[in-house]
This record gives sequence, structure tokens and C-alpha cells, in this order.
Amino acid sequence: MDELLLSKIRLGIIAELLTAQWIAFSELQRALDVSQGNLGAHLAKLVDAGYVDEEKSFVNRRPQTRYHLTERGRWAFSDHVTQLQSLLKAGS
Amino acid sequence: MERIDAAQARDHLDLVERILAQSQQRLCSGGEFFVVWGVFSALVTVVLHLVGLGVVPFGAVAVLPAALAACVVFSVLRGRRLRATEGRQSIVQREFFNVLWLTLGLAFVVNAAAYRIFSGMASAAIWSFAEAIVLLYIGMHGNRRAQVAGILVVVSMIVANFTAPQNVAYVLAAGMIVGYAGFGLAELFARD
Repeated sequence: MDELLLSKIRLGIIAELLTAQWIAFSELQRALDVSQGNLGAHLAKLVDAGYVDEEKSFVNRRPQTRYHLTERGRWAFSDHVTQLQSLLKAGS
Repeated sequence: MERIDAAQARDHLDLVERILAQSQQRLCSGGEFFVVWGVFSALVTVVLHLVGLGVVPFGAVAVLPAALAACVVFSVLRGRRLRATEGRQSIVQREFFNVLWLTLGLAFVVNAAAYRIFSGMASAAIWSFAEAIVLLYIGMHGNRRAQVAGILVVVSMIVANFTAPQNVAYVLAAGMIVGYAGFGLAELFARD
């Protein structure tokens, strides 16, 4: 199992990004209902692992950071969910 | 290595399912674009028809490039503003824009480059055809209003086919207004 995705917040981030072209930091924070610092720390781990790409830009002269899922992150998520399902099947 | 038991696995899978269910956004793009372009396409259809009948002077055609320019400027400015304020863009939304530009772009090219083949009302019908594709594509992603609007545009084409020639333009224009622009209005009301 992917240890990085054993955290519910990181798993939630990947799930949010799965159907999105990109999501802004503020939108992720709203969707997952977590603090700015907490979300930033989890996102940093996902970016370091190459699961998520970060893109900084200015929108209406205000800085905005957007995130999107990488192919590596998509595969990791898929494998992880398959293993979670296997664990459930084995337990039932 | 961190371990996880079956109960936690169930909890994590529930979280994923919940997020995916919520993020399956209903495909809907700004209703204002549909209103603007629906009214414009109906305007073009009716004006060209009236000019053809000699009811209005040929000079009335001059209003069309001005209206087109206004629609393009509005769409570009509004599109930029929407992109700037959006917190996310879904993959399905991006695909919708690809379908939208491809369909309407192709209709424009056909109208501009093959005007001998698609002359008169055939030209207007191509716009109805393109608008129906866009609406039904949105409808395919679960938007009931778009399904109804797309069917209305298709029905307007069929009715136009069996209508007296002098009324074809009005029937097609009605389809554009009620179906395309009407869908845009319904989306705007739903959003508010």
C-alpha cells in the first residue's frame, strides 16, 4: 500500500484532483475543510513525491497556486484504491 | 511501515467515493454565452431572410458584423473573467470547450467557405445543427435542461423542413432563441 496515501487528507487531495484539470489552493482548502498550513504541508509531500504538479501565477494581480494530478499520482491512486478494495474483500 | 485495517480501508474508500460523487459536476458553462450567441444566430437568420425578401434594405446587413464583433468581444472578456475567478476546472469542462469550439468553428468555416453549397436557409440550418450538437453534448452529461433545449432545436429544424418557404427562417430563429438562448437563460436562473 502507498504510505503517502494512507493519510486521509492526502488521499482526499488526490481524489479531488482526479476529475479536475486543475484546482486552486483556496478551492482545495474549501473542499477539504482543512487549515491553510495543514493543506500546504500535505501538498508539499505530494509535490515532492511527483504525484501533484504545482503552478504559481497571478490572477487579477493576486498570487494564485494551482495544482494538478500527474500521471504518476494517477497510477499511485489507482493502485492504492485497488489494494484498499482487496483488503476489504479479504476481510469480508 | 504504517498499517491499515479493514475498517479504516472502508473509511478511506467512502471518502474517495464521496469526493468523486461531489466532483462529478454537472456540465454547465456560463449561460450568458448561450444567450448572446443564440440571439445573434437568430438575428442573422431573420435579417438575411428579410433582406432576401426585400422587406428591409440591403444596408441592414451592416448590423451583422457589428453584432458579431460585439458578441466576440463579450465572449472573450467574460471568458477571461470567469477563468480568473474559477477555483477549479474539471476535465469534462475542458472537453466541453473543445467540442464547443470545434462544432461552432466548423459551422463558421462551412458557412464562410462553402456558401455556394449551403446558401440561404441551409446556412441557418447549419447553425441550428451545430447548436443542437453543443446542447445535446451537455445533455449527455446529465443536464436535463440541455437535453430539452437540444431536442427543441432539432424539432425546429424538422418543423422548418415542412414549413412554407417564407416561414422557414422564423422557425429556425425560434429554435435558436427558445432552444439555445433559452437554455442560457435557464442556466443563469438556476445559477442564481
